[in-house]
Amino acid sequence: MIVALLLLIPFITALALMFLRPTQQAKNVALISTLASLGVVLFAWSAYTGGTVIHYNMDWVPAWGLRFVMGYDGVGLLMLILTAVVFPFIIAAGYGEKLQHPSLVNALLLFTQTFLFGVFLAQNTLLFYIFYELSLIPVFFFLLYWGGEHRRAITVKFFIYTLLGGLSLLFGIIYCLGQGAGFNGDFATIGALNFPLSTQIWLFWVLFLAFAIKLPIFPFHSWQPDTYAMAPLQGTMVLGAVMLKMGLYGIIKIVLPIVPQGVIHWQETVIVLALIGAIYGGIIAFRQSDLKRLIAFSSLSHVGLLCAGLFAWNSYGVSGSLYQAFAHALLVVCMLYISGAMKERVGSSEMGAMGGLKLRTPRLAALFLLVLVNAVALPLTQSFVGEWLMFAGLWQVNGWLAFAAVSTIVLGAIYMLFAYQRVMLGPDKWALEMTDATTRDHLVLVPLIAVTLFLGVYPGPILDLVDVPVQQLLSSLSLN
Amino acid sequence: MSALVLISVLGVVLLYLGLFGNRGLLAPVGIVGLLAAFVFFAADWQLENALFAGLVQFDTYARSFSMVLIVVTVLLFLFGIDYYAKVRENVAEQYALMLFSLIGGLLITSFSNLIVLFLGIEILSIPLYILAGGKRDSFRSGEAAFKYFVQGSFASGFLLLGLALLYGSTASFDLPAIEAHAASIGTGTDMLFLLGLFFTIAGVAFKVAAVPFHFWSPDVYEGAPTLVTAFMSTVVKTAAFAAFYRFIGHMQLPEAVHTMLILMTVCTLFLGNIVALRQTQFKRLMAYSSIAHTGFLLLAFLGFDARTPDVLFYYLGTYALATVGLFIVLTLAKRAAKGDEHIHIFRGLFRSNPWLAIVTMLLLLSLAGIPLTAGFVAKYRVFVLSLANGYLLTTAFAVVMALVGIYYYVIVIREAFTPGERGLQLVVAPLNWLVISLCGIAVVALGVMPGLLRM
Repeated sequence: MIVALLLLIPFITALALMFLRPTQQAKNVALISTLASLGVVLFAWSAYTGGTVIHYNMDWVPAWGLRFVMGYDGVGLLMLILTAVVFPFIIAAGYGEKLQHPSLVNALLLFTQTFLFGVFLAQNTLLFYIFYELSLIPVFFFLLYWGGEHRRAITVKFFIYTLLGGLSLLFGIIYCLGQGAGFNGDFATIGALNFPLSTQIWLFWVLFLAFAIKLPIFPFHSWQPDTYAMAPLQGTMVLGAVMLKMGLYGIIKIVLPIVPQGVIHWQETVIVLALIGAIYGGIIAFRQSDLKRLIAFSSLSHVGLLCAGLFAWNSYGVSGSLYQAFAHALLVVCMLYISGAMKERVGSSEMGAMGGLKLRTPRLAALFLLVLVNAVALPLTQSFVGEWLMFAGLWQVNGWLAFAAVSTIVLGAIYMLFAYQRVMLGPDKWALEMTDATTRDHLVLVPLIAVTLFLGVYPGPILDLVDVPVQQLLSSLSLN
Repeated sequence: MSALVLISVLGVVLLYLGLFGNRGLLAPVGIVGLLAAFVFFAADWQLENALFAGLVQFDTYARSFSMVLIVVTVLLFLFGIDYYAKVRENVAEQYALMLFSLIGGLLITSFSNLIVLFLGIEILSIPLYILAGGKRDSFRSGEAAFKYFVQGSFASGFLLLGLALLYGSTASFDLPAIEAHAASIGTGTDMLFLLGLFFTIAGVAFKVAAVPFHFWSPDVYEGAPTLVTAFMSTVVKTAAFAAFYRFIGHMQLPEAVHTMLILMTVCTLFLGNIVALRQTQFKRLMAYSSIAHTGFLLLAFLGFDARTPDVLFYYLGTYALATVGLFIVLTLAKRAAKGDEHIHIFRGLFRSNPWLAIVTMLLLLSLAGIPLTAGFVAKYRVFVLSLANGYLLTTAFAVVMALVGIYYYVIVIREAFTPGERGLQLVVAPLNWLVISLCGIAVVALGVMPGLLRM
């Protein structure tokens, strides 16, 4: 029931929006739909007692090995919560945007949500792949229609780049399906594959490429900054907050179980690449003059760290990475929302044009500061918990890697505070009245900030959720 | 048997109808007749009957493909009602020629004697030479007909030579006898037999437009009337592939033939996809995309197992559906653009005609092989098949080429969904609307429930 509801609520609402085109009410309808999904997910969370909950398990086309298996475990549930929590705020952010055809915008967003739920609910590799690719299609049209400059070229680049990874993943999946050995594509039987090390070494990259591009980690990131900067605000939120988490989820659910030895073999390479991306993203972010581009590169930096933490493959690293994935989703939405709010007031997101806004919009400045505190991972914020765990995990792998990882925090503090200084502080360039944070701004930002602060003080609920699956995952790794 | 006779008579009836000026009746009579033939095939389902002293063998395989060929022809006839509405002369001949060509198609999906293969291919092709030149006052159409005729005759020569060589080494035209001979050779060499296989395969490969026998296809596709192009890329291609599999599907192929097939697959995949990237004329794009799809289909020919016929059947059936729909959309857009075929004519289609744009998107996504469309399942199954037969690198190459394919389809989708521009106002006849919608819905339905289309 939960699975059906999660797929049908956004899907049917999206269809209704697309065909009925209720221009006036579109945003409200979409908001109600996402809140309903959130309710369902929270109910699922309260009813969850551990293990893997399978809701549907049936053959789709038995003769061709297609199966339809849907359900979730702790990690999947975390991703579902993340998606469900973030989406109402993404829809709410649309109230400030003056995009044409709001019913289509919201329909596409809800289609995306449907397919994202599908990705996190799928318990079969091929089903996972199908939803994974499908989630691209609404985003493709969203970017193509409502994107900024050069959207035609950038959208196609983004699409093809991501599909390159997707097809590589498909190839890997088909290869695994062909190997038989009791593997029918279900996550439950995924451990049955026991490839020799020589196979695992190349198969790792075939499978990992999809997620490396999706995240993205260095050097597969070149689609990301342009796409993030060009995309409309809500598009960037979807991409940055939720879609890249599919990469993390895919690594845990597909890459690790199929090629555990390959993962160990390439562990340090991936960590180094991810950290190069993290540091490089931080340095480039510092050089940006556009707030949205800065956020794009800071996201690159954060994601690099997420991936590095995951590839520590110990309980600190993996839990930290998952925890930080949640924190990062909220953070990205907050940051982008603020950049949108500034753009609404100043007219562009160029930081050179801003400055001294604190005098005009003190409340907004205060909210920005609270978000910033989370972004630079100050203690008692959610990011601090996640990053601390990841550093601890990396430390167990290699001290120097941990050192490199910590340096990204310093970089983060530099570019974030510098951005704040350029936007909010300094002389008042705008000698005109400006609306301060509105009720809507408060309604979006305050709950998100409250959640980040609460989970910064009391991370238990989320960590408990992922603890058992992470332990299982790691024990399977040591068995091999 | 009855279906074959029925369709042949139907062609003659249409000619008479045309002679007495009953133009309005042509397509309806043709469609009713084809549906009757479909029913004949369906009624004999699961029966094995050998016709003409065993020259033709109507088994489940032949019958399934025949039924697909008939359904696609019906769709094209439905499209023809609008397509030929303004044409004054020779409409009856065009319908009749398509039916005669279809007979050839039915024969080569069911042959069990190589003479019938040759006859079938000729019956299939000769009407097409005329049809390609259907627009008598068009220079390009004449060029297409001539090109197709010259190269087609050349291919027929190859085929005939191949058949003669096969006869020379096996002393029989019967397929089972040839298969037995191939098995008896084993790993030894029989040069005559090998050459015979080479030439015969070359002759068939010409019909499916596999590289290096593809040179005719872009020019002919571009020059021929769109309805005929649609006929060639669906009915002819499906029939030719069915014949191809029938010919070598149960044969123990010598190693050299295998190598040839692999080379052909790789070259077809590469050339079809890469050259398609540079196309700006939609019909040429479809021609190269057709070559590319030939490449994916050939991938299924590298190694055979029990699943192969079904995989081919599914792929060809869904490919035909998507292609028919797209050619109808092209005709409508081309008409609105006064003869222009550049992909720009699709620009802004979404604003001027949203439903048509959505269906076009679905059809293109299906050709590109995006999940939840039939094209994805089709490609997926081909990849599964070739990986199961151990062609790791070839399949990896095909996957990369599938990505290239997605690019040029997405470019067209991007044109249709270009924001802010209102496209050409297309006039869509209700029947065309119906056929296009049918294709679009079928492509999604078969993608979600792939089990519906099977042998």
